[in-house]
Parts: sequence; structure tokens; C-alpha cells
Amino acid sequence: MDFFELTNDPLDINSVARRVVPPECGATVTLDGYVRKFTKGRETQHLFYEAYVPMALKEMQKLIQQAKRDFEISNIGIVHRLGMLEIGETSVIISVAAPHRRAAFAACEWLIRELKRTVPIWKKEVYADGEVWIEGEQAGSTPA
Amino acid sequence: MSGETGLKIRVLFFGATAEVAGTRAMELELAADASTGDALESLIDRYPALASHKLLYSINQTYAKGDERLKDEDELAVFTAVSGG
Repeated sequence: MDFFELTNDPLDINSVARRVVPPECGATVTLDGYVRKFTKGRETQHLFYEAYVPMALKEMQKLIQQAKRDFEISNIGIVHRLGMLEIGETSVIISVAAPHRRAAFAACEWLIRELKRTVPIWKKEVYADGEVWIEGEQAGSTPA
Repeated sequence: MSGETGLKIRVLFFGATAEVAGTRAMELELAADASTGDALESLIDRYPALASHKLLYSINQTYAKGDERLKDEDELAVFTAVSGG
């Protein structure tokens, strides 16, 4: 089955990866995105994620629908953590199950790229001497 | 732009835009024929510091382009380019 969720609880990568697996699949590719300690040389103490929850869920669902049209894959699971995260904690998991691995790798890469461009979630980096809301590289709304 | 002849929408801010506005939600009154772009302009007039950000906005939880016609009680969200992941 497919799923898309936002949660304030710590993420368990194995349980997410296993939930997407149907019998016809031969490979699951799972991205484990976690909190970096250094960004552009500056030391982060922790991160805070905030979402526009109802719209974020809709955009995650759209990504799943689009990926299933464009890649030969079976199931997708996306879970994004919200709230305060310590260094090294998982912020996002994307699991893609497919009959063959190539499509799963390609779809997983596409999904994280699009999630970072379209899903309304923001991160604040907290440093020893201040904090900054990170703004995405591109003003990337969903194309019409 | 009176409440009688105009329309009233709900505005949401997140992250950096919530800090600029000093609030996470407000109501905004606009002319009856206002578009999403008009609403954004009105918000930038009220909070000029918004203009220094790359803004995205949505209407009823779908990305907006600016030409969408607003209805009473629509939900407009104004936020910076997203940074999840």
C-alpha cells in the first residue's frame, strides 16, 4: 500500500520500508534523510520543522500519484517528521518498492527532489548564536 | 472595501512569514472582485518586510498563481519557498 504521513514522533526506517512491500516486488529503495550537523560550515544545534499540514498531505499524495504514473513501481511510503529534531535524527523517509531496482532508485530520487520543491514544510536551523528559517532554492510551486 | 460589499478571507502564515507578520492567522477584507494576487499585494502593503522573501502562496491548499478569483471564507496561505526534506 501507499502512505503519506506527518508525525511528531521519531521515525523508524525499517518499519516504513517494510510497509511498502507487496509480493511482486524485488527491491525497495529507501531514503533516510537526517539532520546534518554542519551546513555551509555553520554548526547546527538542532532543527525545527513546521508544515502546513493539510496542504502538505495533499502535495505528498499528488507526488505519489505522479510517481506511480511515471515510473514502473508498485508502492510508495513517505513519512516526514515535524517539530524539534536533534542532530542525526531522521527527518524524512521515502520508501519505493518495485519489481526491479532501477525504477525504484529513479522514483525515490524524483520524489525527494519534488518533495523539497513543492511540499509546504519548512525547517529552522538553530545555532549556538541564533536561528534561521531556511528558504528553498527555488520558488517552486506545482506547475499548472 | 467595506465588509458589506467586499469579501473576507482567512490568511495563514508559516515559518518566516509568521515571524514577519507576528501572527499565524488573520482575517483580510478585500473588494468583492479581488484575486489572490490582490490579496498578496494587500498583505505586502501591511507587512512590507514580506517583500524581501521569495514568496509562494496557496488558495484553499492549492498553489496559486495570482489570477484566481477569491470567494468569501477562502483560505489563503503565504509562505517562503519550502525547505522540507
